[in-house]
Amino acid sequence: MSVDAGSAAISARGPRIIIYGLLILFAVFYLLPLYVMLVTSLKPLSEIQSGNMLQLPQAPSFYAWEKAWGAACIGVTCEGLKGFFWNSIRMVVPAVTISTILGALNGYVLTKWKFRGHKLIFGLMLFGCFIPFQVVLVPMAQVLGRLGLASSTPGLVLVHIVYGLGFTTLFFRNFYVAFPDELVRAAMMDGAGFFRIFWRILLPASLPIIVVTVIYQFTNIWNDFLFGASFTSGDAAPMTVALNNLVSSSTGVKEYNVDMAAALIAALPTLLVYVVAGRYFVRGLMAGAVKG
Amino acid sequence: MAFLEIDRLHKRYGATEILKGIDLDLDQGGFLVLVGPSGCGKSTLLNTIAGLEQITGGEIRLEGRKINDLHPSRRDIAMVFQSYALYPTMSIKDNIGFGLEMRKVPKAEREAAIARVAKTLQIEHLLQRRPSQLSGGQRQRVAMGRALVRNPRLFLFDEPLSNLDAKLRVDMRTEIKRLHQQTGTTIVYVTHDQIEAMTLATKIAVLKDGKLQQVGTPAEIYNRPDNLFVADFMGSPSMNLMAGTVRASGNGAMIQLAQREGSIALQIPPSVTARDLPPEKKVIFGIRPEAITDIDGADRHASQLQTIEGRVDVIEPAGSDTYVVTQLGGKEVIARMRAEASLKVGDLVPFAFNLDKALLFDPETGYRL
Repeated sequence: MSVDAGSAAISARGPRIIIYGLLILFAVFYLLPLYVMLVTSLKPLSEIQSGNMLQLPQAPSFYAWEKAWGAACIGVTCEGLKGFFWNSIRMVVPAVTISTILGALNGYVLTKWKFRGHKLIFGLMLFGCFIPFQVVLVPMAQVLGRLGLASSTPGLVLVHIVYGLGFTTLFFRNFYVAFPDELVRAAMMDGAGFFRIFWRILLPASLPIIVVTVIYQFTNIWNDFLFGASFTSGDAAPMTVALNNLVSSSTGVKEYNVDMAAALIAALPTLLVYVVAGRYFVRGLMAGAVKG
Repeated sequence: MAFLEIDRLHKRYGATEILKGIDLDLDQGGFLVLVGPSGCGKSTLLNTIAGLEQITGGEIRLEGRKINDLHPSRRDIAMVFQSYALYPTMSIKDNIGFGLEMRKVPKAEREAAIARVAKTLQIEHLLQRRPSQLSGGQRQRVAMGRALVRNPRLFLFDEPLSNLDAKLRVDMRTEIKRLHQQTGTTIVYVTHDQIEAMTLATKIAVLKDGKLQQVGTPAEIYNRPDNLFVADFMGSPSMNLMAGTVRASGNGAMIQLAQREGSIALQIPPSVTARDLPPEKKVIFGIRPEAITDIDGADRHASQLQTIEGRVDVIEPAGSDTYVVTQLGGKEVIARMRAEASLKVGDLVPFAFNLDKALLFDPETGYRL
């Protein structure tokens, strides 16, 4: 018996080494571009032009980062990305907050305060998730124009809230479906009303799904290019659009180190959100998925 | 005027009728148990009293006031749920105090009320914990505490013991009964467990398919069930129900029951109120296991005792008593004998029938004769 067990352990170790080896290999492969971006952003231009992409910087400096942040030319102004970074923050914070709150309320109503036609409403909201961005561009532009929100950050916020509502509703509905109805009934008997039950009973138990929704919405809205490019112009543009303009509008020598630093700055907030809240992400997705 | 009155209550879901005209009332301080098989509408009835479900017809009155249009939060009714429904993110203290907080009771008063209830239920040491850190029995206590603390006019219990293991269930049953005796509250309690119904109730309502079968004290329900369903549902092991025929005999009538070989004749039980039983009428003879005993174990005060020889098919010793299975009227019949009665399978032994406790039913209508 023990001999069998021993040899089984040894024979299990072989495949394990291969599996881990392959995993490490792929991880390195996928991290390689990030590595190249990082080292390139720290090199002076001369070093980049000399050839070896993978080489570590000989004289690392944050010159490119500083320029990308504060002095690079985007269009005709040469003030770097910082203005546009704040544009994005001003867009993403209200858009994520409002769409998450509305999604939570929708999920609450669709599961705990069912009304005639609640399935149809939910079906239509789900359907909204599958409408491609491009389809809504023209009608959306007309609506924004009529509301007087064209080419502004509030307009962009509105677009992202409307577009995100389907997803946030889906997340919260599936989470609240598994939430026991008896708790809501007990709270009702205790004398709590619609918003009290939501605020005191459901919301405190919703942390996992809030994290999922916030990560999902933050990533999507921060990284969006199409709506940003379509519904804003000039100084109101979000980070993604500015990054594109920076990379494509360089005159004379192409400053790869500045481009790389700018791209990294653009990617940092989403990276940060994942690092801070990531471990809740999978857990939350699972929590919603088990009963749904 | 009763404390709680339910008047011609109807409840319909689309085309299906769940409650078909319920008439019930309960006096203040009473303990009403709604009992019946699953799907009989007992939980729905409870939910309509709570206001968690709307009714389609009839009226519910509490202390003479119509409450069926009031929101659950305004009926001054507390409910203990089957799953306990404790708020998972709140401490036990907050769980108990939530109802008071919603009713804007000042904090000091609230604290005092929580402390008082926690003492009654012996859960003072649990107040700072979360529901997930409690055992089933402790959660049950907290759920009751949450209802008690509000001091409502009416308590509703929805199968509160069904999630507990057998031993704890018996303990909590006693606890609920003691609580009711101490506080004198008015309770409506739903269960499918007929022993719970018998032990707790001052009044039992048996439901089947959305219709009341019988309402009465536990003794009435047990000793004089109105129909075959109630007779069969209440009691464990359940009542022996045997098909027989009325035969004319010398100075009256007898009930003839087929045995494996031949047949036996039993006297008409004194409980029968029907004036005359025409000869050849088919009847169902019902008698509880404890009314069939060995001769020594028979009730000395019984006015009508009849002994019949029967063959022992199965012996089930239960410690305090021994259940003996024989065959009569084409069905297995269970008798409850003393544990000391010495018996062997296959023996022909005398069974003493206490006919004071026997009942006759009409097989066509199912009603007691």
